Formats: sequence, structure tokens, C-alpha cells
Amino acid sequence: MVKMAKRPQQRTTMALIEGQDWNALLQRVGSHQDKDAFSALFAHFAPLLKGFLMKGSNLEPEQAEELVQETMIKVWRKAPSYSPAQAAASTWMYTIARNTRIDWLRKHAKISQQTDELVAEELFDENEESSPFTSLIQTRNSKNIKDHLGELPQEQLQVLTLMYFQGKSGQEVADELSIPLGTVKSRVRLALQKLKLKLSPNGEGTEAYAQ
Amino acid sequence: MIRHHPNTDLLTDYTVGSLSLAPTISVTTHLKFCDQCRDSVHSLKQLGGALLSDAEPETVSGDLLSQTLAKLDVESVTQSSAVDALADAQSTKCDDELKGIPNYLNKFLPRNGLSWRKLSSSVTVAPISVGETQYELALHKICAGGKTPVHDHHGVEYTVVLKGSFSDEDGMYHEGDFVVREPGDVHRPFATQHEDCICLSVLEAPIKLKGLGRVLNPFMKFQPS
Repeated sequence: MVKMAKRPQQRTTMALIEGQDWNALLQRVGSHQDKDAFSALFAHFAPLLKGFLMKGSNLEPEQAEELVQETMIKVWRKAPSYSPAQAAASTWMYTIARNTRIDWLRKHAKISQQTDELVAEELFDENEESSPFTSLIQTRNSKNIKDHLGELPQEQLQVLTLMYFQGKSGQEVADELSIPLGTVKSRVRLALQKLKLKLSPNGEGTEAYAQ
Repeated sequence: MIRHHPNTDLLTDYTVGSLSLAPTISVTTHLKFCDQCRDSVHSLKQLGGALLSDAEPETVSGDLLSQTLAKLDVESVTQSSAVDALADAQSTKCDDELKGIPNYLNKFLPRNGLSWRKLSSSVTVAPISVGETQYELALHKICAGGKTPVHDHHGVEYTVVLKGSFSDEDGMYHEGDFVVREPGDVHRPFATQHEDCICLSVLEAPIKLKGLGRVLNPFMKFQPS
């Protein structure tokens, strides 16, 4: 009898896994603490997270896996608050991975006890309500990114990769590539334009591009 | 209506996590007031998600999943409720004069309250320590109609208006506005007549490293040995 009762849900999870519906799987982890769904997410995202964290960084593979594990544990813990209307699973995973890396770096840098108490999640305060347009913007962005990410010139992709994968600031990327900060900024902005990312017109930020 | 925002460069640094602690706090504080910038940050995070999905996968150890699953079992529900209780306790801790400012800032305020000290006849300041030396984080209060002394900036300064409004030679700034002053800018802000103005400010410490040394960011940097 117990087996019968469980079957429909099992089948749904299986279908979701086959369909690679990461958003729905993540939701299922949150609503049912479904370990099959979690394992499927793990199988897909853990290697991506490891590649993401290791690319160009001086992390050892074991350290990267430690971070992957921490990230996935947080995914499990936070899944009940996940809503696909607010973010795609990949966006959500990226955010958790970023926060995990920041906390890990700070813990290992042992700068001061005071900063140890602060966790990145609190600094960014992700549990923010979305605006009425978030869902619409999200759908539009996701199509645009999909359509145009592959078209970015190598030099623009390189700058984005250094920033996103390694958490480097514009200035640090400029130093690493031995190019002016203005060039880094203009590459980022050109890339964001090309991706047609929905960014608000920022009062002070609309000065001419550096190049 | 919020008229002054962080620019895209700053929002990008914020999103990828390369901004230092105090500037990060100032941008998050602005986001509390600003739907537009919150959506911008969301867009930038979506790009992060897309880059993650496109990352070259690295094979993980065969037992990493089983190890992770084993750790999930010891996770308990009580942990998260303890965190919530802590957050509740923190959100009630609030100076009377800070009513109306985002609750978010409370967790950074000293447990035994703020210590305000006078900078001039109309300006008081309460430093907030987050254990960072590169930036000074503080609340500034300008009395209604009060003028601050003319000052210039050795480092960059980010200001978020939390309550009231102030003006300077370049414009007028209201609740939620994010104002950037670059090194070398000289200005003399004054609060509007009818209301005190409270701002969160982040000032880059006046230490300049010239030449090739990049400014070390004590919040983020770590070189594995």
C-alpha cells in the first residue's frame, strides 16, 4: 500500500529528470525533500559548479569540491524558499555558489572576527521581494541571453568570465589582462548591450563608453 | 521617485561579489528602496546563471554525492528556526531615531546602540564597524537646514539617503538616492529646512597605493597556500 501511494510522485520526479526540468526539480526538493530530485540536480550542477569555481582560479580540486558540497547543502536547505516565478534554477544556483565562495574565502582569510560573523547571504539580502516586472524581465532576458551569448566576441566573453567565474572586479581584470580599466568597462557594457539584458537607465552611469 | 542610482559598472561588481564589504552594504541598502536596480541586479545574476550553465563541467569524485546526501540527514529543522529567531531578535533592536530606515541595516549596528558624535554644529556621525580598514562605514545626520563644512574627498564616497533629503551644488537627493563622489570632488551638502537628514555613507579610507600595486581587498582576497 505504501508503495502504491508513493508511485505517482516517483513517476513525476522521473519525468522531470528525463525532461531536465531543473526549476521543477528544485521546487520538488523544497516541497517534498525529494532526494531523487536532489540527486538529479546534483548530477547536473555539481560538475558545472566545480568547473565554474576552478576555471582560472588557484583552488585545488579538493577545495572546489568542498565548495560544491557546501553549495549543494545550502540548495537543499533553502529549496523551500525557491520560486521559479522569481528565478530560474541556474540563477538561483549561481547566487548560492557566489555567496558560498565569498564566505569560504573570508573564513580562510581570517581577516577579523567581526567580519566572520557576517555571511554573504545577509550582505546581499537575497530574500527580497521582486518587483511587478521581475517575471516578465526574467523571461525576456533568458531568451535574449540564450540567443546572443554564443555571439559575443572572445574578448568580451573573457572579461565576463573573469568577473563571474573568479569574482574579480573591473580593476582586477584590467590588471590581470594589462589593459585600461576603461577598456574592461566598455567590453562589459558592449556585452550587456549585445545580450539585450534589461538594465535600468542609471542616472550617473550613462556617460559615454570609454571606447 | 529615486533619481540617483549606482551605475552598471558598480552593479556588476556588486553582483559578481567583487565589491568590498562596506560598499556592498551601501548598494544593498539602495536596492531596498529601488525596484529598478533590484531588477538590474536580477538580470546580471541571470547572466551568472547562464555562464554557470555553459561552464565546462569538471568531473566530481564518485562519492561526493553520497557524502553530501549523508550530510543532509544530519541537517535538522531546528537549525533554521534558530536562525529565524535570531533575525527576529535583531530586527527589533533599533534606535528610535532610526525608525523608517531599512531593517536590513540593523544587523550591522553595534549591539549596545550607536554612539553619535558631533562633527560640526549641524552634523553628527555614528561609525559602524564591520572590521574593514579600506572603507569607513557610518551614519551621518544633518540637522534640518544644517550645512556641512565644505569638504573634498581623498577617496571615493558612496552615500545612500535613508531619511529626509539634502542638497549640494549638483542637485537634491531624496530617500533611497545613491550618490557617488569621486576623489577630488568638493562639495558642501546641506539638509532641507523642515527635516533632519540621515544618510549611510561609505568613505574609502584616505590611503592611496600608487603605482602597480592593486588595492588589496581584505574582504575577499585569499591565496591558498
